[in-house]
Amino acid sequence: MNALLEVRHATRSFDGLIAVDDVSFTLAPNEILGLIGPNGAGKTTLISLISGTLAPSAGEVLFQGESINHLAAFRRARLGIGRTFQIMRPFPGLSVLDNVAVGALFGRGGGQAKLGKAREQARDSLEFVGLGKYIDKRADELGGPGRKRLELAKALAMQPKVLLCDEVMAGLNHVEIEEVIDIIRKVRDRGISILVIEHVIKAIKSLSDRLLVLHHGEKIADGTPEAVLSNPIVVEAYLGKKRA
Amino acid sequence: MRAWQAGLILAALLLLAGVPWYGSDVLVQFGINALLLAVLAQGWNIIGGYTGYASFGNSVFYGLGAYGVAIAMVQWQLPFGVGLVFGAVLAVVFAVLLGIPVLRLKGHYFAIATLALSQVMTAIVSNVGLAGQNIGLVLPPLNNDPLFYGLSLGLLTIATLTIWGLTRSRFGFGLIAIRENEEGAAVMGVNTTLYKVLAFALSGFFSALAGGIHAYWITFLDPESAFDISLNVKMIIMAVFGGPGTVLGPIVGALSLSAVSEFLSSEVTSIAGLFFGLVIVAAVVLMPRGLADMLRRLRQTGWRYFIENIRAHRL
Repeated sequence: MNALLEVRHATRSFDGLIAVDDVSFTLAPNEILGLIGPNGAGKTTLISLISGTLAPSAGEVLFQGESINHLAAFRRARLGIGRTFQIMRPFPGLSVLDNVAVGALFGRGGGQAKLGKAREQARDSLEFVGLGKYIDKRADELGGPGRKRLELAKALAMQPKVLLCDEVMAGLNHVEIEEVIDIIRKVRDRGISILVIEHVIKAIKSLSDRLLVLHHGEKIADGTPEAVLSNPIVVEAYLGKKRA
Repeated sequence: MRAWQAGLILAALLLLAGVPWYGSDVLVQFGINALLLAVLAQGWNIIGGYTGYASFGNSVFYGLGAYGVAIAMVQWQLPFGVGLVFGAVLAVVFAVLLGIPVLRLKGHYFAIATLALSQVMTAIVSNVGLAGQNIGLVLPPLNNDPLFYGLSLGLLTIATLTIWGLTRSRFGFGLIAIRENEEGAAVMGVNTTLYKVLAFALSGFFSALAGGIHAYWITFLDPESAFDISLNVKMIIMAVFGGPGTVLGPIVGALSLSAVSEFLSSEVTSIAGLFFGLVIVAAVVLMPRGLADMLRRLRQTGWRYFIENIRAHRL
């Protein structure tokens, strides 16, 4: 089994409320795995357990076959785990370029030590996500869609092996969603594995190789998008039980 | 940096360096005080301005630096330079040992925790025989103000060059990332704990050197004056007035506010404190991001800048 990322029986509770309940799954190299589920299903918590901003109450996260449970978030980033935040977290006082340069200065393997080189790398990432025109703006001058892309560019500048995307399409219109889907596909073409949380079912269906469904913190389905979306348990979780 | 900016800075530096030659004794003494305050404001700028941790513990570094010099010179008959190093080492060790637990706290909690430090240090040092207990220490006098002036200006130059270096280094970007969003910095690979402690130590290093120079210049030291919390308030006001998180802002803040304060206390002696307070309140309301930001933005927005600031704070 040569999964890049493996989560084994991950559990996280907040004061007795179980947000993630005994979830296990794997992410293969070069795979796009979609993570869906109703609001409050524990999707973001699961991503936080992988990126290390939250510690699991039980269970284990493995990266490249080794447990990373004991590693702090910054060490996981240096191993090659990049993430975006659902609630965008730009560094508001910095320019768009320097926001992304932080990713290049740190990131995988400890990053690029020279600021000039890091800014070059950042410029590439920004061109890649289509923000090339905005490099000199302050990060807090970008609108919502721009910030979503900025989150992506920051994570990409880290040159990660795994990218965890937390709702990078939320709040975007159809055209913008298509563009982001395109970007994520191109990211995969660079050899990066992707775990993507999304609410827009249509978008995630076409994007993902495989879908994972969380409901009340539990994994209720895992398989091809077609199989998962026609699974009665999944339909029920989303639409509620059909009345007889 | 553009050529004219570099030229302007160089001219200002020459003007400052020449004070002992063309200035009066009073001006030189005022200069020593103002320059040392500028060093303290720059020291605070590293942890408060760049890293975003509003420290009220920097006066402890200052006091440790002062006591380092005093103990080395009075108790051990060592030269001044050794005392400076000793004081700086004390401050750095203190910053690391206390920084590790205290820098886990955020925002107001960090400020409150560090606020207690200077009180604690006053109490401790008052009971240490080596430090002269609550009576204090009297240092051997050295009547050479131009030397103290030169030392202060040199220290300020080094502190400022260090900060300028920070703004173009990985370390500095890490600090700014921590200030802007600590969790975001961590997931991008910034070792936040290490960086915060290093910033605190660097901040302490410069503050301690300023304290050491001041102690030798004043030739007297007691716990109350060494660990004076109002000094910490002053350095924050100066850094914030000039522009926290900028290379030159805290210097401008320290020098201009020192001048205003000096002018007021000689012109309107009895109510100088009140006027000084008004200046601070007006500054915080009208230009909360400091002089540096005001100068930058005033050209684009004009007088609307002040109105926007008032609105932003719902006053």
